[in-house]
Amino acid sequence: MALLSLEKVSVAYENQYILQNFDLSVEKGQLISLLGPSGCGKTTTLRLIAGFLEAKEGKFLLNGKDYTRIPVNKRNFGFVFQNYALFPHLSVYDNVAFGLRLRKVKEPEIRQRVTKVLDAVSLAGFEQRFPKALSGGQRQRVAIARALVIEPDLLLFDEPLSNLDANLRVSMRVEIRRIQQELGITTIYVSHDQEECFSISDRVAIMNKGIIEQLDRPAAIFKYPKTEFVARFIGFNNFIDFEQRSDSGDEIELKAKDRIFRAVRHPGMSGANGRKGAIRPDDIVVGTPEEIEAGVGCLTGRVKVSTFLGRSYQYVVETELGSFTANKEMESPFLSGQEVRLFFPREKLVLVE
Amino acid sequence: MKKKVLVLLLPGLLFLTAFMLVPIVITVGSTFVHDGAFTLEGYMHFFGDTFFLKILFTTLEVSLVTTLMCIVLGFPVAYYISRRGRRQKSLLLALAIFPLLTSSVVRSFSWMIILGKKGLLNNALIALGLIKEPMDILYTPAAMMIGLVHLFLPLIIITLVGVMENIDPDLIKAAESLGASRFSAFRKVIVPLSVPGLIIGSILVFVGSLTAYTTPALLGGKQKVISTFLYQNAITLNDWYSASVIATIMMAITFAVIAIMNKIANTLNPKG
Repeated sequence: MALLSLEKVSVAYENQYILQNFDLSVEKGQLISLLGPSGCGKTTTLRLIAGFLEAKEGKFLLNGKDYTRIPVNKRNFGFVFQNYALFPHLSVYDNVAFGLRLRKVKEPEIRQRVTKVLDAVSLAGFEQRFPKALSGGQRQRVAIARALVIEPDLLLFDEPLSNLDANLRVSMRVEIRRIQQELGITTIYVSHDQEECFSISDRVAIMNKGIIEQLDRPAAIFKYPKTEFVARFIGFNNFIDFEQRSDSGDEIELKAKDRIFRAVRHPGMSGANGRKGAIRPDDIVVGTPEEIEAGVGCLTGRVKVSTFLGRSYQYVVETELGSFTANKEMESPFLSGQEVRLFFPREKLVLVE
Repeated sequence: MKKKVLVLLLPGLLFLTAFMLVPIVITVGSTFVHDGAFTLEGYMHFFGDTFFLKILFTTLEVSLVTTLMCIVLGFPVAYYISRRGRRQKSLLLALAIFPLLTSSVVRSFSWMIILGKKGLLNNALIALGLIKEPMDILYTPAAMMIGLVHLFLPLIIITLVGVMENIDPDLIKAAESLGASRFSAFRKVIVPLSVPGLIIGSILVFVGSLTAYTTPALLGGKQKVISTFLYQNAITLNDWYSASVIATIMMAITFAVIAIMNKIANTLNPKG
């Protein structure tokens, strides 16, 4: 039984649906990320759960209780904002104590809980500072402490690291994951940064145009994207539309313009019933026609563009099945217009819907 | 570079010195000199005079009540305007400023029509059966306050909108997510963060009310305030010495108010 579930939820803004018949369920203690390009509905979903937006249709259940019409201030969820939203007129201590004072907690207990949570986010000794006198990372930790101290039933993050510089982002996400796991608090995390989501989440939901394209463990998504959108989003830049497929056991044989390709059916391959092949630029083997023998899984074409990427060269190769992008580490690159052969290894070719 | 800037400052500086600083110094200085000797007589005379003290008290009372009413009426309006989109905001602000664009004489006459013994307000209240006899509103301090609130409400709205539109709307959401109701989020976040605008707006309104002439002259009737009393001394009685003393007292009060307000601002908003 899921701790949190959204059932057939719709949200509209000025008569335009942002979410429609949206479903989501989250297990207790998990950290789940909503990942997608801007405008995909991830922030809307988070704000709906927080209570900042009201669902037009559908239900939001938490622990079996209907939260759909419960106002924000009665929900007891911790929300961490992209811009931190610290109260500029209050000290770090008073910022963190804000939620406890509203709950009429006694002052000695407030002191004890604030001290403990500031300790947990490594900000002991900063109690009397004002937000203005803190660095970005410190502000973010105050925001997290403020959300944690009320012992929330859910912790919600809205792109919490996007205003920090790259190094700090990495250490903060480790920190967020550590705190989340230590407290075992169910967390929903919104970001447009793949690496960030993949590194800290138990499960990732890839969203597009108000629907979840795929919800799975990070490694599963990374290896076996379910749909073309997900594949494209996580870097499978090459697609082949197959006209025929025939399955025999775990082997799938595919045909496009009489060229034969093979793929392996893997239990985790969620889009395996599709007819579209996807492969990463790093996984295509590229070589001269002498180096690679023609056969199953091969395609001949001409180099159109060659780009130096540092470690490797990237080629755009024009073939009869369209153009493909392939990377290869080599000393002297292929020239523009040169004939090359591409090989699509069967264990790397993934089928998507 | 620096010299050029100073040259540019010069015309304005000369103008202010010649036509503001010098006259003020002469006016203030003249109040302490009588028959060639230093004296505080002028001040002792006024502060010993209950008639004058009553005028002073009425003036302060009118100014204070006007300021408080402007705050109470202006705060929610300013908050509403500050949360609108850009186009709506400009339109609403233009509407709010509108009273400032009409002549204060015309405005005061309109109030006379509304507030008079046989004015619109009394007639309406009698017609509704709420009162039997017409109330005396015109030519009382209450009429002055109404006129002054009408005049100065835009000032406090403008200054508050300026401060409030810079308050991050996520702060309200943050407060609500921590358990605050709309009202307590407003009280604990918006109000304290609006203090700078509130102080500036209050100073403008208070000082404006203290020194306003047309509105109290037309709506106050026989009820004098300092500014009308000063006018009477200078123009009607041709007693320029008394007028100068009154002017100095007014100026002193103005500076005192600004100093007190700044002090309040610093206590409420220590980092500001």
